[in-house]
Amino acid sequence: MPRLVIDDREIEVPEGTKVIDAAGRLGIMIPRFCYHEALGAVGACRMCAVKFLQGPFKGVQMSCMVDAKDGMVVSTTDAEAVAFRKWVIEWLMKNHPHDCPVCDEGGHCLLQDETVSSDHSRRRFLGSKRTYRDQYLGPYVQHEMNRCIHCYRCSRFYREYAGYRDLGAMQIADKVYFGRFRDGRLESPFSGNLVDLCPTGVYTDKTSRFKVRRWDLERAPSVCIGCSLGCNTVAGAQFRAVLRIEARTNPDVNGHFICDAGRFGYSYTNGGAGFRQRPREPMAAGAGIGREGALERAFGALEEVARKYGPESVAALGSDRNSVETQCALKKMCAAKGYLPPVFFLDPAARRKTCEAVARLDERIAFSRSELESADFVIIAGADPLNEAAMSALALRQAFRKGGRIVVIDPRPVSMPFDFEHIPVVPEAIPRIFGMIVANSIPGEGGGLDANAGKFLRKLDRRSEDATLQSRIEDLAAGLAAAKRPAIVCGTGIVDETTPAFAADCALLLYRAGKRAGVFYVLPGANSYSSAVLSENDGRTFADILEAMEGGSVRALVVVENDLFRNFPDTRRLEEALARLELLIVIDYLPTGLENRASVFFPSSTAFETGSTFINQEGRAQFAHPVHAGGVPILGGSPEHVFRPDVPGGGQKPAWSILHGLETGLSGSGGISAEEIIASHPAFGAIAPLRYPVDGVRVIPVQSKEEFTSQSVSGGEPAPPRGLRLLLVDWMFGTGEISAYSDTLLESIPEPVLTMHSADAERAGLLDGQEVALRLEGGTVEVRLRVTEKMAEGVILLPRHQNLRWQKIRGFPALIDPERIAAL
Amino acid sequence: MLPEDLKHRLEAMIIDSETSREKAVDVMFAIQDRFGWMSDERMEEAAGLLRMTPLELDEIATFYDFIYRSPVGKYVIHVCDSVMCMMEGHERVIDHICARTNVTLGGTSPDGLFSLLPVCCIGYCDRAPAMMINKRVYGKLTIEKIDRILDKLIREDGFHPSE
Amino acid sequence: MAEIPQVLFKNRKPDRVLSLEEYREMGGYEALRKCVGGGLPPKEVTRIVTEADLRGRGGAGFPAGKKWEAVPDSGDFPRYLVANADEMEPGTFKDRMLIHVNPHAIIEGMILTAYAFSGSKGFFFVRPSYESSAFILERELAFAKEAGFLGKNILGSDFSFDIVVHRSGGRYICGEASALLNAIMGKRPNPVKPPPYPTVRGLWDKPTVVNNVETLANVPYILRNGPEWFKGLAVGANGAGTKIFAVSGRVVSPGAVELPMGTRLSEIIDVHCGGMLPGSEFKACLPGGASTRFLAKEHYDVRMDFDGLRAVGNRLGTGAIMVFDHKTCLVGATLNMMEFFARESCGWCTPCREGLPYMRDLLRRIESGEGRAEYIPLLKTLCGEVWNAYCALAPGAAEPVVSLLQFFEEEVREHIARKGCPFHA
Ligand SMILES: Cc1cc2nc3c(=O)[nH]c(=O)nc-3n(C[C@H](O)[C@H](O)[C@H](O)COP(=O)(O)O)c2cc1C
Ligand code: SF4
Ligand code: FES
Repeated sequence: MPRLVIDDREIEVPEGTKVIDAAGRLGIMIPRFCYHEALGAVGACRMCAVKFLQGPFKGVQMSCMVDAKDGMVVSTTDAEAVAFRKWVIEWLMKNHPHDCPVCDEGGHCLLQDETVSSDHSRRRFLGSKRTYRDQYLGPYVQHEMNRCIHCYRCSRFYREYAGYRDLGAMQIADKVYFGRFRDGRLESPFSGNLVDLCPTGVYTDKTSRFKVRRWDLERAPSVCIGCSLGCNTVAGAQFRAVLRIEARTNPDVNGHFICDAGRFGYSYTNGGAGFRQRPREPMAAGAGIGREGALERAFGALEEVARKYGPESVAALGSDRNSVETQCALKKMCAAKGYLPPVFFLDPAARRKTCEAVARLDERIAFSRSELESADFVIIAGADPLNEAAMSALALRQAFRKGGRIVVIDPRPVSMPFDFEHIPVVPEAIPRIFGMIVANSIPGEGGGLDANAGKFLRKLDRRSEDATLQSRIEDLAAGLAAAKRPAIVCGTGIVDETTPAFAADCALLLYRAGKRAGVFYVLPGANSYSSAVLSENDGRTFADILEAMEGGSVRALVVVENDLFRNFPDTRRLEEALARLELLIVIDYLPTGLENRASVFFPSSTAFETGSTFINQEGRAQFAHPVHAGGVPILGGSPEHVFRPDVPGGGQKPAWSILHGLETGLSGSGGISAEEIIASHPAFGAIAPLRYPVDGVRVIPVQSKEEFTSQSVSGGEPAPPRGLRLLLVDWMFGTGEISAYSDTLLESIPEPVLTMHSADAERAGLLDGQEVALRLEGGTVEVRLRVTEKMAEGVILLPRHQNLRWQKIRGFPALIDPERIAAL
Repeated sequence: MLPEDLKHRLEAMIIDSETSREKAVDVMFAIQDRFGWMSDERMEEAAGLLRMTPLELDEIATFYDFIYRSPVGKYVIHVCDSVMCMMEGHERVIDHICARTNVTLGGTSPDGLFSLLPVCCIGYCDRAPAMMINKRVYGKLTIEKIDRILDKLIREDGFHPSE
Repeated sequence: MAEIPQVLFKNRKPDRVLSLEEYREMGGYEALRKCVGGGLPPKEVTRIVTEADLRGRGGAGFPAGKKWEAVPDSGDFPRYLVANADEMEPGTFKDRMLIHVNPHAIIEGMILTAYAFSGSKGFFFVRPSYESSAFILERELAFAKEAGFLGKNILGSDFSFDIVVHRSGGRYICGEASALLNAIMGKRPNPVKPPPYPTVRGLWDKPTVVNNVETLANVPYILRNGPEWFKGLAVGANGAGTKIFAVSGRVVSPGAVELPMGTRLSEIIDVHCGGMLPGSEFKACLPGGASTRFLAKEHYDVRMDFDGLRAVGNRLGTGAIMVFDHKTCLVGATLNMMEFFARESCGWCTPCREGLPYMRDLLRRIESGEGRAEYIPLLKTLCGEVWNAYCALAPGAAEPVVSLLQFFEEEVREHIARKGCPFHA
């Protein structure tokens, strides 16, 4: 470990640390523009010049380009270096507009900071300024090229780091231009990071433009609940509206970046005017009744039902959107009142997959995103990273850039911004194939493995009847055998029920075989981990409750933040069952439609309005701090001059607090205590004091109780199913539960398509691009057909798209006779 | 749309290389030999052949001096404006060409025959002042010599760089 | 001038190239027969060239043999060789002359060089204004291939090597070795700072050697005649070989002449270029292209080799001598070169992209009569600051300015005092 002196202070840093970062560790911020921790050093801007006084280098050098070495003595304040840095600023400012006071970036601009700190305050250069034409880059990113200082961060992130190919550097000399070939929407779903990365105001957040100055925002560390990854963000609010989301660095979870769906999908919390208005006041049968009235009504009605039919006639449904606090409060309320314990899953398969995955995560094999980034061989089993957990695709690209080999075993036409191998097979064939790759990578019978691992290995098939597949598997197995840090990415969506546990066992086997192996699950939602933990010993799901509602034994239902009509695959049945209830209590912040059917509706607060905990797919509990108090946003007009004690439209409360009211009949701010959370589950011990390190805290056990217990997948190729198996899939834009309520995302949502393999399409006489009628059990949906060869035969894919009534499926598994797809 | 014969030629060029993008400049030169300049549509087609995105090709096209991204005349006159030619009177050369062909520096003559662009040292300093027309170099320029060259071009049809 | 040894330009024919036959009659491709055909170990080739003290003719003067040695034995395959014929520095045209006089010396030199480090593919990198040179090279390469000097199993050995011509789109920075490699690969030609050096990771991440065409052309002669012969060609103890000097400007017969390394500037101008034009007096010259410093009259006798020029605070560069007379405004000349460098900056780093236009603006103002006294110290400071650029372009661009202010500050002051150029009467 090299030891060096920077500004008279000594520091020891790991080999390979750049001097600029070594200084950072001492709290010395060397000015920089092109250098960025994630993008690396390229030495373009020359802003980070320091003087090397002793050691292998002498004189003024760029601190971003030099590795710290023993014996170096570095001065950041040396007159020569300071003078040069000042020149760099003067050069850059000779073309930069002098519009800081009205610039969107003003106040949080690195160029502004460094200009001020270099004491450049007077223009000496007499020439005129260069000007550029700006481009239209889509709904999210505003382009303002005159501000460019040519640090090349944007093109380096966009092209090298993220792997998209429609933004770059054109022209030469002092005319270099960053933009697209033509005006048009940026293709990368990570484009919003340009806003954070640009050291000045070339790329700014269009959604928040002209609404607020950043320093006026109330800002707080938050967590994205767009998918199960739980990327860290900083949320900013002003005038009772969330107006801006930025990425917050967390090396383990999201590095420096977030995806566009997460960054720009915040507007559901503001409940856009006209667009799916957020319900803000308590209601009974669709009419406002005030907070006290609602509580009185709901509490009374619950007591009434419990008295009439017994407490177990009251059921409760939560969701992956609930915070841990809410789920615990719900569980506590049900226990206290003798109601049926709450369920968090809609159907047994979903529950089992999530629970199996969660039960297997332990310190040995749970990979974080940063570990995924440095994996040298990745098997993706039944996951579509970009669509189901976008930031994981960015992590996989980094693995690819470092030379990692990536294979996807999934029926879908998976696409990611890098080269990978794809074995498109039906879901039931997934575990067998990746089992074969794993088995063939371990020589012989696995001598040296312990008994359990050996037994598991011997159960795995090694040979496929299909010779081409076999040689492909052997080739991959050879790659895996040579790998030191292999990862298995496993989904919980389209896979069969046994796959998640099997993935863990395979990871464990590789771990036992001496590799730093791990598993990275993609779970269905933001708080699926907690949902699974809390339903660990309870196999019931909403399916059971629904039957009980139909049978009449359940008379009252409490739904907490679940967009049931969106999530449940059989709308008609759901409607009928709900109609039989005597009491429906709904708590939510989204206008799901249930609020109008509810006997009593309570508006809950979003994660931006209440401190709440979410546990991501690798078992990391993270706390989203409240950003503001909420209420009807003041936008596009001047605030009303009405003096009132409360916040207009501020009827919402945290769901856990509402549940406390339903439990006790008492209004007020009571809620759930740390002790009560711990009592909900031992795993929550780690998060109990609600004092987390900012990077969250892992709640997974050191060692899972279960090992090598997954179902064997040997026994030859599965028989091809008759008919086409319909799989419901997620897209990055258009299928999310909360994103459906964000008007900021509307422009990103592609038209829904039914996707089918070309061979299946040919057999059915269907053509790419045709409008087809898909006859489902519950009715017909009309949708455009997309035909591709890049997917498995025997399955068809339908997105859970917000503009598609896919809820006519009725049940799973849905086998579709090709006859039932007809061209319109 | 690029004509089929040209497309085949370009494809053959591309196949004969380590990576397709290595031929980016050659492909653009070949297209320019036929059409004079790289329109957006030709950029898109060329990029497709090279397995690049149009942006990736434009990053290269706009870097270079001899790729034209806006229309040029049939004859592109590059007059060297570097130090030796300057010393030997490149300004006179430019003025004369402007007067003779009705072209402005950086522009194209109304008849579409000539474009006049400045260029940095073309490596004919021993024969300054020098200029280049469609990749053919003329040195030791005098007013009479320029007239002879331009007359010939105006008279002749079908002047081609490989001549 | 019979006593002046001619190597590269021997039998120079006016207006046409030496044909393959003519080259062979003069002993061409014999070195190839001896080394590749005769099974001389590749390391031996490198050793001989190192011993001959062949230094790069592309500007930096790096020893050729040392560069080839830098390709690690364990280095990956295939390995590439690039002959740099970009030659875009104002004043420089020696490489064009060499290609038009003696292309096979370069081709044979490339084959031998590739043999020395086991290269399997070579590129000629040629600028657009040298289309005629590219044409000649392609034609002669075909002849060489026909004769069995290129292609598979050259002269029955197990060494195979091929050469293609890569046409540049035209930019000065493409001559910089690492930018050149990006250009060949069809990427934006920004330079890349070593390490790793191209000899370790160059084209497509494989070991790659970049040499100037003149450097390469010397290789066959060295291997044929031995290192001692080569060293003996130079005058003075500190050089080796001959050098092609491309002379332009106010001399009677400008052009490229091959002269012993170390020939005095005065001899080059007075004897080999016919002296100054009638009515012209020598005022200054740039000895090695636009990125070297002005030599004033007091250095008229300097020895034109690497050490001779270093001794007077200058560089041999490319050996392109641009001669200015007493009627030439050096502020104007310097401004012209600054226009060139600012326009040709690749735009990667701030000192060059923004700093050169800054200097250009000051020079423009001085030349047009808007100059102020404080511009002189400002320009001096800027000359120092642009040294911290990413590559050598910007420091090179500062060289004429440095020397303008060193030797001709009076002329600059006169511009300022008179509010205009004294030469534009
Ligand atoms: C801006 C710049 C332009 C250059 N242009 C050329 C050139 O046109 N031809 C050339 O041979 N070397 C040129 N060089 C030098 C090359 O980088 C490299 O040193 C040379 O080609 C190596 O060959 P040599 O060792 O045989 O001289 C240039 C360097 C710089 C910094
Ligand atoms: S000095 Fe900088 S901008 Fe100039 S050519 Fe070199 S890298 Fe490019
Ligand atoms: S931060 Fe070091 S050169 Fe830009």
